[in-house]
Amino acid sequence: MWALPVTFAGPGDARLTELENLTEAQLVEACLAGRSGAFDLVVERHRRTVYQLCYRFVGNHEDASDLSQDVFLRAYRGLRSFRGGSSLSTWLYRIGVNVCLNRVTAKRPIMEDIDARPHVDTVHEPQDERVLREERAVRVRTAIAKLPPKQRATLVLRMYQELSHEEIAGILDSSVGAVKANFFHAMGNLKKILSEA
Amino acid sequence: MSTHLTPEQFVDLAEGTQPESAVPHLAACDACRNELADLRAMMAATADVEVPEPSPLYWHHLSSRVRDAVDQQSERSWRARVMRPFVLVPSLGAVLAAAIFAVFAANRTAEAPARLPALPIAFNTTVVPETSPSFQPLAPFGATDDPQLNLVAAVATTADWDEMMDEVAMSTADTSDAVAAALTQDEQRELQRLLTEAIAQPGAREKLS
Repeated sequence: MWALPVTFAGPGDARLTELENLTEAQLVEACLAGRSGAFDLVVERHRRTVYQLCYRFVGNHEDASDLSQDVFLRAYRGLRSFRGGSSLSTWLYRIGVNVCLNRVTAKRPIMEDIDARPHVDTVHEPQDERVLREERAVRVRTAIAKLPPKQRATLVLRMYQELSHEEIAGILDSSVGAVKANFFHAMGNLKKILSEA
Repeated sequence: MSTHLTPEQFVDLAEGTQPESAVPHLAACDACRNELADLRAMMAATADVEVPEPSPLYWHHLSSRVRDAVDQQSERSWRARVMRPFVLVPSLGAVLAAAIFAVFAANRTAEAPARLPALPIAFNTTVVPETSPSFQPLAPFGATDDPQLNLVAAVATTADWDEMMDEVAMSTADTSDAVAAALTQDEQRELQRLLTEAIAQPGAREKLS
């Protein structure tokens, strides 16, 4: 993965360094107090995971990008309601899942092109293997994006965000048993979709 | 033969949170064993599927988009606060009263400049009776050396627009009452007289209703 150092408050800004040393709860407090750069730092820390969550839901970059922006905007609006009972990332996942569920029920996702070339580090991988792996990845991502919304949410949060069944149940306002059942059926449907493709 | 495994049991077995030895049915049921093998295979097939990494510049672009959206949100919130009826109505009321006052003063000056005394410069200035010989009459409407216009120009030049808008945003339903209460008794009487005259004008009530 690429890492690009990004600062919004200017290089060498002492306030930014100070913000970076804050705990999650202190950073939220700084946001609520209106400290310059505090929410930028929240975005910087969580933008990749939020984007990936959205991408797995909708299966294309454009929609994932719009949804990511929406997630952070909603987070900004609702920051006062963040009580610190869960981690900030879990809270953002909850917002992200709700935003994505609203979107996928309102709009059918645009699937990525099979020829879309992901920007992954493939320098040391043989060409044939790389092509096969990419094609398989596109097929699986496309199949995931065709799952019913709740099954998709459960699979993404469990397999890729590595949340526990209990955390997923909290995010989806569901029971642990229902989450496991959703996960089981998601895998069954995924197998069916892939075998039909 | 015991019943087949539940989805919850399959997931627990596939994830290793429950050992196969804890489920005797599995050893005796080919269907459940196959189902479990399929589940494990699908979990393995999906596990290493990465999301395509966007351009390195994209993350900065996303942050900028979020920041712009947040700024717009903040601006909209500010406007929404200002546009609340209990802020807007008294503020507009105060502005309307001041406008009527100014228009009336200008009209009276244009019609009979020698009869009307000069307006007080500051609110705490005592209104002197009209008969006082020391009063300077208002300059004709539109005159370039009108001291009242000069005063307005001076205030407008030094006023901070943001501060004024903040004051408007912070005003409450009592704002116009508070402004009226700050006037001296003479000023209040003069304001009342001017407003009464304005309302008595033909068609004024229709315009205000």
